[in-house]
Amino acid sequence: MSAAAWTCLLLPLASTVLITLGGTRISRRVAGYISTLTTMGAFAAAVYAFVRLLDNSPEHRGAVTTSWTWLSAGQYHFGLTLLTDQLSIVMMLIVAGVGSLIVAYSVGYMDGEDEERRYFAYISLFVFSMLLLVQGGNLLLLLAGWGMVGLSSYLLIGYHQDRPSAIAAAKKAFVMNAFGDATMALALFLLIQHTGKLGYAEVFATSPHGGTVANLIALGLLGGALAKSAQLPLHTWLPDAMEGPTPVSALIHAATMVTAGVYLIVRCHPLFENAYVIQDLAAGLGAATLLMAGLIALVQTDIKRVIAYSTMSQIGYMFVGAGLGAYPNAMFHLMTHAFFKALLFMAAGLAIHAVVGEQDIRKLAGIGKLMPFTKVVFLIGSLALVGILPFAGFFSKDSILASALARGWFGDTLFVVGIIGTFLTGVYAFRLFFIVFTGEPSAFAREHFHSHHGKEGPLSMRWTVGVLAVLSVIGGFLQFAPLWHPLTTWLEPVARPIAEPTNTQEYLASAIAILAGAAGIFVAWTIYAAKRVKAPRAVKLFEQKFYWDELYDVVWYRSADLLTRGLYAFVERPLIAGSISAVTGAVGLGSRELSVAQNGLVRTYALALASGLAVLTVVFLAAR
Amino acid sequence: MHWLTTILIFLPVAGALVVGALPLPRYWVGSLASLISLVEVGVWITTATKFDFGSASLQFSQRRSWVSDLNISYHVGQYAFSVWLVGVTTVVMAACVIYGWWVGRERARAYFSLMLLLTGAVVGVFTAQDLLLFYAFFEAMLIPLYILIGVWGGAERLRATLTFVIYTVVGSLLMLASIVAYGLQQGTFDLTKIGPSNSTWLFLGFVAAFAIKSPLFPLHGWLPATYRESPPEVSAVLSGIVSKAGLYGLLRIAIPKFPEVVADWRVVLLVLASISLVYGSLLAWRAPDFRGVVMYSSLAQSGLIVLGLLANNDLGLDGAVLQMVNHALMSSALFLLAGMVERRTSTGEFALLGGMARGRPALATVMMTAGIISLAVPLSTSFAGEFLILAGAFQQHWAWAVIGAGAILLAAMYMLRAISAVLHQDVGPAVPDSALDLRGGELAVVVPLVLCLIGLSAYPNLISGHAFGGNRAITQVITPGGGYLTPTIDHAAQRANLTTCTKSGNQGSCQTVLVSAPSGTTTWTRYAP
Repeated sequence: MSAAAWTCLLLPLASTVLITLGGTRISRRVAGYISTLTTMGAFAAAVYAFVRLLDNSPEHRGAVTTSWTWLSAGQYHFGLTLLTDQLSIVMMLIVAGVGSLIVAYSVGYMDGEDEERRYFAYISLFVFSMLLLVQGGNLLLLLAGWGMVGLSSYLLIGYHQDRPSAIAAAKKAFVMNAFGDATMALALFLLIQHTGKLGYAEVFATSPHGGTVANLIALGLLGGALAKSAQLPLHTWLPDAMEGPTPVSALIHAATMVTAGVYLIVRCHPLFENAYVIQDLAAGLGAATLLMAGLIALVQTDIKRVIAYSTMSQIGYMFVGAGLGAYPNAMFHLMTHAFFKALLFMAAGLAIHAVVGEQDIRKLAGIGKLMPFTKVVFLIGSLALVGILPFAGFFSKDSILASALARGWFGDTLFVVGIIGTFLTGVYAFRLFFIVFTGEPSAFAREHFHSHHGKEGPLSMRWTVGVLAVLSVIGGFLQFAPLWHPLTTWLEPVARPIAEPTNTQEYLASAIAILAGAAGIFVAWTIYAAKRVKAPRAVKLFEQKFYWDELYDVVWYRSADLLTRGLYAFVERPLIAGSISAVTGAVGLGSRELSVAQNGLVRTYALALASGLAVLTVVFLAAR
Repeated sequence: MHWLTTILIFLPVAGALVVGALPLPRYWVGSLASLISLVEVGVWITTATKFDFGSASLQFSQRRSWVSDLNISYHVGQYAFSVWLVGVTTVVMAACVIYGWWVGRERARAYFSLMLLLTGAVVGVFTAQDLLLFYAFFEAMLIPLYILIGVWGGAERLRATLTFVIYTVVGSLLMLASIVAYGLQQGTFDLTKIGPSNSTWLFLGFVAAFAIKSPLFPLHGWLPATYRESPPEVSAVLSGIVSKAGLYGLLRIAIPKFPEVVADWRVVLLVLASISLVYGSLLAWRAPDFRGVVMYSSLAQSGLIVLGLLANNDLGLDGAVLQMVNHALMSSALFLLAGMVERRTSTGEFALLGGMARGRPALATVMMTAGIISLAVPLSTSFAGEFLILAGAFQQHWAWAVIGAGAILLAAMYMLRAISAVLHQDVGPAVPDSALDLRGGELAVVVPLVLCLIGLSAYPNLISGHAFGGNRAITQVITPGGGYLTPTIDHAAQRANLTTCTKSGNQGSCQTVLVSAPSGTTTWTRYAP
């Protein structure tokens, strides 16, 4: 059991080390294979651990293993501890499973890149970091994983090092996530002060209930979750992160890392339940994000950015679920979303790959005719995203909306927002689908399309997309709350939901949501496929992404810049440097007057030494 | 066994004499000096393996009376935290000596003999247990530096040296006056015996000297010229090792010997430390050159470490010792890398650099790793150090930790900016296509430093959990009840037990607890939380 947990965690790290040290001694292709095989090995280890957990009774499914004390100070000890329980095993399976598909896909996608080895070293580092995040047995290791995924995300967004926009996006992502790390660290300091521990069980048992302290702890953790999951108001880095290679967007910025915030809330739910206000805040911010992202997605023209905004929006749903206390539903949506969003990105990747990197949907228009397989899988992904029966998103998203109905007026408000969001999802998802994949191919698409030996892409890209398409179709059948709910039962001991909708609410939510989604698709069809209605002009506010970037630029960057210039001009130069130059000037002048030929330096020191001795003598005499 | 400390101090000094005296060609001078510095590392490894980290007592100590009238003695020895500081000194000095050899510094005999002398003096500072001996080593450390900067520095070296001399001489004189007055007042100069004092002026004399050396805002005026004009390996030694002498002084002398004054001045010092942290980070963020970033980040890190030292609890103190070692490794690696970049481009200006990653994987990997660890990415050893420091400062008051957390954000901004400006984006005008990747010699110097950092990242507890031994004989510690203990050492049975209470936060009754201590009896006064 513990061996499996450690194998799962360390295999990807070994891959990073191997590829980095191997350098040019291993070929690019072999680097890709090492990375893929180790991720698959991690998945196998996770499956093994899962099977072993099944043997135990539900109450005894948490296995803790500590290698050594990582950090300690006086009475405080923080171990390098792995926790394998019902929640972490779900995350391990998703991360390593979807991860190995996407890494395998990368072998084809990155083929021919200059620095392919670096890419695979980074992506293995990411898989390690993400596994550390979900497997870490205390909050300190969670924070360590939290920072490490931020680092690998930074490295991968900035993979194209000579592209200034990629480097800027990478730095932005890192700094914004570092803000989240900082608020999380502050929450941990509070926990240390009030409980003296950072292990999950001890912290949950002894942390304060209610009051300012509990609220601040939850708020600090929420800050980390918002930054990592690109929720309001810390979301602006995610669209820019699309500068990274497409498989990176699929793995990090859709399937795994950005959903870490949901995992955090579910994992630390006792701390959030101690602070109802903050938990409601999480749900409210999730709702606001899903609405805003849906509106912005309507007017984007870059295929990856549309999908990125839909990711923000879908994570908004998960935040609503986790914030309302419907933890299994949030986790369920996290899982299905990993399938269909990775599918969407990778299908988009197939199209982008086929036209040598073009991402503008107006130029890609009509490419579906040239790529029938891609068209079908993209359609599956879009249907799952909108939540049409029987695709995966239907089961998971609707159960979140249903649990909103079970939480009074606040829940009802969130439900309405969620339904509007579903309508918007239908519009933007199928706007994208109809523009890119239906109709006649544009001149650009025809001219630049090149098939891969008569196929739509290399084999490694096609089979992985196929597997995800299948999962996006059948993945949802894992749970349909009114009839069967194995996931809820499985997670019960670690994350007992506090919002449990009745069957009526489930059916009602499903019916309304599916109607809203279908209405959205119909609107998109009338405008972009049937072209019965002229497309409305894009709203400036949406195109400018609600001006968040401009706001942060003024509030954070420009003010810090101004402050620094001020400090330099009014403190550092005149006071700090100025005073000493005055003194050195005087000393230099004095020594020049005494003697031109001598070295001022040696004599200055001799002078100082002599005066030191004089002081010494005086003090000695005075003291005697 | 007890000779080990003395050997650690005088092996490089003897080496300096040999290197300076033998008329060898340049190459052989360098290799002999490198060999000596590596032997020194070996001696330290022996020391560390024989050291009992479970014990808080002074180990490998030696004592010879020097001036018996005044109770001055040659007394050296090591506490657990001294072991780590000595260790990082030997490692960084070895790297810098070898770099000097690889670069082929002019006037090799003088250069290497000064570098070895410096090594011995710094080790002496970290191990001296007599105040006057401490002062002697402190001065002996500065003299080689004046010459190293003044002779081997850049174009503006004389101005830089003069600035450095003025600052350090002022600091040294203040410290000397404090030492003499303190020693005479207490009747001994022995650090293990000398009792606590409540003289504000003596305290301020020490603090001024240590704050100049660390440095702390606003006493960092010597920083820009000195770090920019020194040879890169000397900058590495200055910011990596020599600055730790100031912090060590705070830890070993200013804080434990003046408990009452520290309590009065704690807030002032914490404010100065916070200003150093934020101010240094901001200036590093807008610095126009690579060395500027590293140097202002050193100011920031020094402020952070002082926050930990003054946090007055285990978390802060252990974190501070860990972070001293981390910063020594990080900033020396970064200064050496700055030197390596400058050798290729003859400039450190960001405006003229860029795009160096392409085709130079070793440079890119090493610089990226060093930079990322120094911005304290979680899971790195510097994250571990900063986490402990800020967790400790948080218990003092939440505001210090909030300021510190904000500064960590700034650290990400300035370090990523520096990395990108050198490695990424368009190739800078000063970067010739022919500029090579790091060569074997350079890798041999900088990779061990980075490997130390990676190793510590896997197990930072090696230092944080083994910095003070079993009980905290050196300075104040937190107790399970939430209060803290203040040691007052009863020396030579000449005085009655001093159990003074500090003024801050001591409501409730004072109870007296007796704890075993290395020499004599230590009386611990516990204050209710």
